[in-house]
Amino acid sequence: MNRFLPPWLHRWTGLIWLALLLASVVLLGQRSQYGPTQYMQFTMDGLRAGTIYALIAMGFVTVFNVTGIINFAQGAFVMLGAMLTVTVNNSATFLPPAPRLLLAIVAGIVGTTLIGLLLERMTIYPARHASPLTLIIITVGDFIALQGLALIAWTAKPYTLPAFTTLQIADKTIRLAGVVLKAQSFWIWGTTALVLLVLGYFFERTMTGKALRACAINRLGARLMGISVSRMSLVAFGMAAALGAIGGIVVAPTTRPTYDMGLVLGLKGFVAAIMGGLVSYPGAVLGGLLLGILENLAAGVTKAGLKDMFAFLLLIIVLLYRPHGILAARQETVEARQP
Amino acid sequence: MPRRILVLFAMLAAIALLLAACKPAPTAEPVQEPPQPPAATEEEEMEEPTEEAAKEGETYYIGFASAITGPGSSLGEPERNTAEMIAAQLNEQGGVVGPDGVRHKVEVIIYDTESNPDTAVSVVRRLIEEDEVQVVVAGSLSGNSLAIVPVVSEAQVPYISMASARAIIQDTETGETRFWAFKTPQENLHSAKWQAKYLKAKGISKVCHLFENTGYGKDTNNQAKAAFGPEGIEIVYEDTFERSDTEFGAQMAGVQASGCQAVVVGAIPPGASTVTVALRDFVPDLPVIHGHGTCNMAFIELAGGAAEGVVSPCGRLMAVDTLPADDPQKPVLEKYIADYSAFTEGEPISTFGGHAWDAMMWAVEALASLPDGMDLDEQRAAIRDYIESNIRNWPGTGGIFNITPDDHLGLTFEALTFVKVENGAWVYFPESAW
Repeated sequence: MNRFLPPWLHRWTGLIWLALLLASVVLLGQRSQYGPTQYMQFTMDGLRAGTIYALIAMGFVTVFNVTGIINFAQGAFVMLGAMLTVTVNNSATFLPPAPRLLLAIVAGIVGTTLIGLLLERMTIYPARHASPLTLIIITVGDFIALQGLALIAWTAKPYTLPAFTTLQIADKTIRLAGVVLKAQSFWIWGTTALVLLVLGYFFERTMTGKALRACAINRLGARLMGISVSRMSLVAFGMAAALGAIGGIVVAPTTRPTYDMGLVLGLKGFVAAIMGGLVSYPGAVLGGLLLGILENLAAGVTKAGLKDMFAFLLLIIVLLYRPHGILAARQETVEARQP
Repeated sequence: MPRRILVLFAMLAAIALLLAACKPAPTAEPVQEPPQPPAATEEEEMEEPTEEAAKEGETYYIGFASAITGPGSSLGEPERNTAEMIAAQLNEQGGVVGPDGVRHKVEVIIYDTESNPDTAVSVVRRLIEEDEVQVVVAGSLSGNSLAIVPVVSEAQVPYISMASARAIIQDTETGETRFWAFKTPQENLHSAKWQAKYLKAKGISKVCHLFENTGYGKDTNNQAKAAFGPEGIEIVYEDTFERSDTEFGAQMAGVQASGCQAVVVGAIPPGASTVTVALRDFVPDLPVIHGHGTCNMAFIELAGGAAEGVVSPCGRLMAVDTLPADDPQKPVLEKYIADYSAFTEGEPISTFGGHAWDAMMWAVEALASLPDGMDLDEQRAAIRDYIESNIRNWPGTGGIFNITPDDHLGLTFEALTFVKVENGAWVYFPESAW
């Protein structure tokens, strides 16, 4: 499509597409006489969903940067984080609600991280000399195995996690100029902001973080500098598991966690990561937010049941026209960064 | 490069092997043999003067298969428990006594369909061909049951399904009744008729219909359209949602913009619960009406308070304590609840177990009607004929059944009753209180 446009238009194509998209959204919204309140509602819904996608996408990015593989078990980490937290929260009844929830969250993150580390040592490390394709297929297998084990452990029953504010299933509702917000949304945004700060500190100030970045820029070079790439792969899987678990835990009170919740969330996180170019954290966050907002806007003005279709349509569009992400400069390629 | 491809193939082969190993051929879960030796049974019989001298005929077999594992396990487990309970009761009674006074032991052979149509078909084949059962009670999910129907029809074995789709007992295109297939659960059309009745009584003519994006949800939508139109109720807005959805702003904007007077939901928990939470946030003044897929405690628990005031048509099993005393089903329901709670040591009651109870009791009653000395094919045909012509005015957990050659379910919409969520429980909601 782009090559038919005059060259001076090239750098604006992204914006033109976005403007066309927003125009069609407003046009479609006219049918139901949607006003600013509705669009605000869709956007806030999208921001909340998008933040979860962003957290999951950052897990994809962490593993891809260090090992060059796409870890399809990421969705299983999301599910495990939620399910482990629910289980601990339901069983540690000797504690009052607030500390119990806190303990459950810590246990959920630590437990999922341990499973992530174990998974890397048991399934990825032994095959570290195999091609990336083989490793990716292994992660698909890991996902199926973890979900199958979760079905045995938790059955197909839906569970509940209390909302962080009220410590009950029913969450506090906040109404702002006709827009309905849940208190949990602020926990989701706050947690993600905190995670971003911690990640920033980790990558800029700590030795391990710098070593991870070195691996991401050039694995061979990093190895020559004495960085153990296999150890960094382990760290990356642990981090990805923790990020996934945090995403699963903060979203758990807004949904009813089941053993199969990881599939759709994992795939949406993958779409967000692809939109961000798979290698950049800001890209992943932007990709997640954009995905959330666009799918909610599109679903809002057409049919709500088409939400997932829009998300995956977006994936196809991005892969076709912006294969290196919405933020990437044109000449920069993933291959160039991954020797 | 060839080595890499080799490794890849090796990995794939390993995964395939692993998957094959993880899915062992379904093994029988034989029902516990009676703990006492046969001598004890004879003694017991001799103590009962009403029974004729112990003339023992061949053992009858009921083939049972439900979704004990897999996504349908919340249905299949209570069904399995119910089948085990009935098997234990039959053991205690020493089986059934035929019209000619010959006593037959009855064994229930239980398999797991793993919620998977392929497995369901293979275990049912096994029940028919290897275990040579007289009657098959199987299929917790509509998809599994629909896959079983051709197998039993070909083998000419009476089949009772525990799933709700009409297509199990009737070819939906030709309207022809499936000769060998019966079922016990109520249908979405029954729910929709109740909903229409309620809406009409409330003077509501414009409704929104929200349904989950599954086969079940779509069926509730189709049946709502079929039942609401003749009553002058218009569906002004309809949309779907996913069971795992966390945001409902899109659907809620549609509901608000459509100006409907009530929202009808076609879903099961957890989707039914999360959408109810959203409805209470966005449109707290609109009445919310669910279908019988929500008739369990999980719906109320998962909705965390938002379920309060929700109304729904439901099987009588969930509101037995608040039913009027003259309800003809009440004794059956109370006995089932007492028996099930005692047998499972306090597992929660579910309507699915009730569907299994109805199906198993038809099978047992039909077996008791067989005279001694028939061969297997004759027995199977006789059981089918018995169920078709003798399950009349038959109070079960699902309703008062009246099976006819044209209707292999035999329930009207009044098999369901109308209930409301009050103080975190389903209570009977009679028309006089509407």
